[in-house]
Amino acid sequence: MSDDRFDGLVAAHHGEIYRYLLRVTGRVSDADDLSQETFLRAFKALGSLPPEANARAWLFAIATNLGRNHFRSETRRRRAYAGVGAEDRGGGNPGPEEETLFHEARDRVEAAVALLPLKQRMAFTLRKLHDLDYDAIGRMLQCSAESARAHVFQAFRKIRQTLNHLEMPSTEARR
Amino acid sequence: MKQMPQVCREIQEDLVAAAVQEAGGRARERVQDHVARCAPCRGEFDRYRALDETVGTLKREPAPAVETAARAELQLRLADLRSRLLTYRVFDSPLGRILIGRTEQGVSLVRYLGRGGVPRLPGLEAVADGAEIERLYRQLLDYLQGRRTRLEWPLDLRLARSDFHRMVLEVTARIPYGAVTSYANVARELGRPAAVRAVAQALRANPVPIVIPCHRVVGADGDLTGYAGKRIGLKQRLLAVEGVQTVRKPADFRVRREAMYIRDRNEVEYCLPTCGALARRSLSELTLFASRECAESCGLHPCTTCRPDLHPLPR
Repeated sequence: MSDDRFDGLVAAHHGEIYRYLLRVTGRVSDADDLSQETFLRAFKALGSLPPEANARAWLFAIATNLGRNHFRSETRRRRAYAGVGAEDRGGGNPGPEEETLFHEARDRVEAAVALLPLKQRMAFTLRKLHDLDYDAIGRMLQCSAESARAHVFQAFRKIRQTLNHLEMPSTEARR
Repeated sequence: MKQMPQVCREIQEDLVAAAVQEAGGRARERVQDHVARCAPCRGEFDRYRALDETVGTLKREPAPAVETAARAELQLRLADLRSRLLTYRVFDSPLGRILIGRTEQGVSLVRYLGRGGVPRLPGLEAVADGAEIERLYRQLLDYLQGRRTRLEWPLDLRLARSDFHRMVLEVTARIPYGAVTSYANVARELGRPAAVRAVAQALRANPVPIVIPCHRVVGADGDLTGYAGKRIGLKQRLLAVEGVQTVRKPADFRVRREAMYIRDRNEVEYCLPTCGALARRSLSELTLFASRECAESCGLHPCTTCRPDLHPLPR
């Protein structure tokens, strides 16, 4: 096993895998656990990854799998939904005054993403925030590329509806 | 809510796709045509467009500060895993299926598998892997086919069950190629002449047979006595590779000591098997050598009485 190759993977992809899992789970502690587990599993399985394989998509697939297993427990699911928005997501660097509106919009989108059903949240995040292609996303979510695409569009519609509820007055005021 | 006209309903999917930059060229054109004429849909398009832009800013956000802490924790856990990781492969060999496993520090497991699977290894995380162990396997094959007389592998004896076992293994590792000695002699070498059974137990639990040549240790009467459970035939074959002859007995083999040079542990000379009283002594203080070269490679000189240099044993 090449340790250098693995250290390279950690350096290149830990940040994005972490952000992905933070969005998927909505909790810093879960993102900590699952991102570590993702890389520990990858480390053990690296020998079976062909040299020409797409290591990035492979890491996202491991993370996705762990995320799905994580939510299989109903109690966890309830706890996670109850905790949405309640926990500090750790990114708290408030912008200058003039950016407040912009940040509000961003936070609202973030909150709307957190409310998506798991598969849509995963598909949406993988596609729109990590630029994975639909074939890869379909394999990760065990569905076709078309279904993966449909999940992303449903996610967009749901986010749009949620934002309508959340921000109708202020949106109209800005327009 | 007012009912949406059918043309608008039909274009909704493409409208969202076009606004979030996921639509093909034809769909995009159709949507552009439509929103140019339909104000509500144009509003809808703009809102999705704005949403997509906001999503774009999320993408460019740096990783949160907690990510750094998580990465540091990961590095600790990786270091721990690396220290516990046993990578292994299972190969076919002239001696049957054989597992070779190594840790960061060195080879820690050689196991005859027979029909069994990978053994449970307390404290270690076993992972099937390949490339480097393949190289060890080739060396092992060379060894088993007599093309190589040493396996100079870095060893990790953490699977030895006690410090005493580890000491027994270290003494056994020094028995040269083509030589045979007894459990009793190993016990003497350790300074524990009474610990003959304990030595036998330690060698029975040898985690790295072949590499640490416990097959070169036999009973004081020259019987092979035991190897890797009941695989006494493997011991005989390993010795045969090194030029050590044996004769078959009903349930065992015995070393043909009349075909080997011999050395008393207190002497710096090696003798013919018929020298003086040596032929009648048990192996408890003796070492046998398959060849003069083998004896001399240990720094021994030919006995000046029986002169094995002048009257070598027939090969």
